[in-house]
Amino acid sequence: MELDLTAEQQLQRDAAARFIAATCPISTIRDLVRSPAGLPAGYLDAAAQLGWFAMFVPEQHGGGTVSGSAVRDAAALAEERGRTLQPGPFGSTNVVAAAVTAAGSPEQRGAWLPPLRDGTSVATWAFPAADGPSPSSLEAAAVPAGFRLSGHAPLVQDAALADQLLVTAVGPGGPAQFVVASTTPGITVTALQSHDITQRFASVSFDEVMVPAAARLEGPGGAEADVEQQLQLACVLSVADTVGAMDALFEMTRRYALDRTAFGRPIGSFQAVKHQLADLGLALESSKAVAAAAVDAMDTRRDDSGETVSIAKAWVADRGVDLAQGCFQVFGGIGYTWDHDLHLYLRRITMNGLLFGSADWHRERICRLQGL
Amino acid sequence: MPDEDEAIEEYRLGARVWLADHVLPRTGRRPRRTVDDYTPEVLAESRVLQRTMFDAGYAGITWPTEYGGQGLSSAYESAFLEEAARYELPDFGPLTATTFQICVPTMLAHASPEFLARFVPKVLVGEALVCQFFSEPSSGSDLAGVRTRARRDGDQWVINGQKVWSTFAHLADWGMCLARTDWDAPKHRGLTWFAVRCDAPGVTIRPIQQIGETAEFCEDFFDDVVVPDADRVGDVNAGWAVTRTMLGLERAARRPEETGLGGGPGALAPDLVRLAARAGRIDDPVVRQRLARAHSAEFVGRALAARVGEHLRRGERTGAFAAYDKLFRGTYNPIRARLAVEIGGAPAMTWIPGDAEGAETSLAYLNGRTSSIAGGTNEMQRNAIAEQILGLPREASVDADRPFREVVRDVDGGRG
Repeated sequence: MELDLTAEQQLQRDAAARFIAATCPISTIRDLVRSPAGLPAGYLDAAAQLGWFAMFVPEQHGGGTVSGSAVRDAAALAEERGRTLQPGPFGSTNVVAAAVTAAGSPEQRGAWLPPLRDGTSVATWAFPAADGPSPSSLEAAAVPAGFRLSGHAPLVQDAALADQLLVTAVGPGGPAQFVVASTTPGITVTALQSHDITQRFASVSFDEVMVPAAARLEGPGGAEADVEQQLQLACVLSVADTVGAMDALFEMTRRYALDRTAFGRPIGSFQAVKHQLADLGLALESSKAVAAAAVDAMDTRRDDSGETVSIAKAWVADRGVDLAQGCFQVFGGIGYTWDHDLHLYLRRITMNGLLFGSADWHRERICRLQGL
Repeated sequence: MPDEDEAIEEYRLGARVWLADHVLPRTGRRPRRTVDDYTPEVLAESRVLQRTMFDAGYAGITWPTEYGGQGLSSAYESAFLEEAARYELPDFGPLTATTFQICVPTMLAHASPEFLARFVPKVLVGEALVCQFFSEPSSGSDLAGVRTRARRDGDQWVINGQKVWSTFAHLADWGMCLARTDWDAPKHRGLTWFAVRCDAPGVTIRPIQQIGETAEFCEDFFDDVVVPDADRVGDVNAGWAVTRTMLGLERAARRPEETGLGGGPGALAPDLVRLAARAGRIDDPVVRQRLARAHSAEFVGRALAARVGEHLRRGERTGAFAAYDKLFRGTYNPIRARLAVEIGGAPAMTWIPGDAEGAETSLAYLNGRTSSIAGGTNEMQRNAIAEQILGLPREASVDADRPFREVVRDVDGGRG
């Protein structure tokens, strides 16, 4: 992504790097694994002050970007966060903020955006399917006062931390979205353990949850179009996070290959290892290239951005795992130890590849978008 | 520099007018796709056009004026090429690039002024198409390990040996030939380049039948071929430096046009969709995964090529970074060819005799590894990436510092 950053974006990224180094370096990540909140104290406040949740919020509600492009800024920050496997609801809150800005009424925007921007409110997107957001098992029935939600969203990132949920359901006339407080009666959030110990997940069930009509979120183009935009943004940020993690892991591995010796020389001098690392370098560079293309497509609002984002998501999911596994092989036995950082990267990269649609799911989507 | 911009604009407009008046537009004629489309007669047409372009001042735009070029900056050349994109420029098949982008620019960097004054004007008017006499039966990846020998005889050299994989040598006028001139020096320090006439006595060029049934590269035999010292390119025994220049130019010539990613993903592999439809498998989830994989790899390849090009243009990476682009194609082209076979199945691998489209899957499969092997194998790209980009230590060499004569004796004599 470094090719495409403006001077202001570089400053923002450097400020993020400094904040991370001071507040939540990798050594802290592993301590947080066992903490209930999963975040250092004051992390969200400080992140909000750095503008991490302001990018998709209009200026009139206290938001703003450094470059004029929210998606570019957010992707650059996501990549920086991925390098050090940062915790917290960065993608989650930003996807909801973007959705509210794009689809919310003036009242909804005025009510929901400022707390998100300040970091005092955390939001996340709850959709029903564990693999790809097709709203099939979450229903919204119309009732006199509004809607009644029933169903189950099996995998929602940051749900235990979130006070607001953006819920995608099947309504009377098609897809319907709502922003509801997670404390609303009938909502049960069950924290899950996951393969990726650097991020938090929960399942959310809706047992005849009553929500007022004012909670319904629908943009001028309809809920289906809103969901599509949310999916694209969630994927682009996830891909950027993964690319950052891949970059950091690859560099760690390259250094290891230079430092570690066997048979009298650095293991990186053996052709087998050199060729392995060259292939992993290709996985990394091709991932950076397609990730940048996806950001560009979204930023320039191309008609085919949905397809480009899916290509990037599927590609980076596969290449990310290739890279993580390949680096594991270079590290050898030490990669099996808890104390080594490799497994943290492996977990994050692998899980990211499965969220918001697996590689297979996105490939099928590509075919459908192509009219096949 | 506003004056310069104005001058380039004026140049561009002049080119636009000239092209419209003198050159056929691209539309309306099927582009040449196979090597069989190139005959001496087809080349003759392009030679005439090349001469016309020279007379109008559009040949050798960046080449020195003392040799017949226009001596302009690459900005002028880019302007011309942008205007000419819609037109049928002289087309010598692969010899276009080997002559104008690789061999002659190498000559310009290393040959004597006397040679260039004689040779370059012929090139500019289309009378000297140049191929490469580079690889040999016993050395491909090991470029410095060539055994074709050039023995000095007064003010001439006598060349004996054999070359292979010389693309379009059967249609070329000249070949740039790498030969060994010192067998007692280590391999990199005993090499010299020569410009050799393809019709010189003792030169035998034979097209090699390829597995795709066409013949585009040749084996070439040199039996006591006499080359004047005046046709030497670069200093005696200093051929490796010339080789490095040529390899850099080859790499640049392989780079796709700097169009960036303006196009987006585009249509999904129409040829593969046709195969799937013909096999009645468009709705098969497995086939759909394959279609999407092929389509994705194509788009990612373009994204990577654009990114590599951008890095190199900004001078942020060494030339070796382009190896990622080559390795990508060498990795994913075979995969795509295989995906086509898996999608189309046996019906795609049989066809009515004469049905060129029906033969495509088979042909693409046979040619699938071209990018993995030609112009630098995947393994050589990995070496370059590992050593020059990732900073990993070079392999210990068993031959780089020893007299080449000894190396040959050991590999040939020791184990038969």
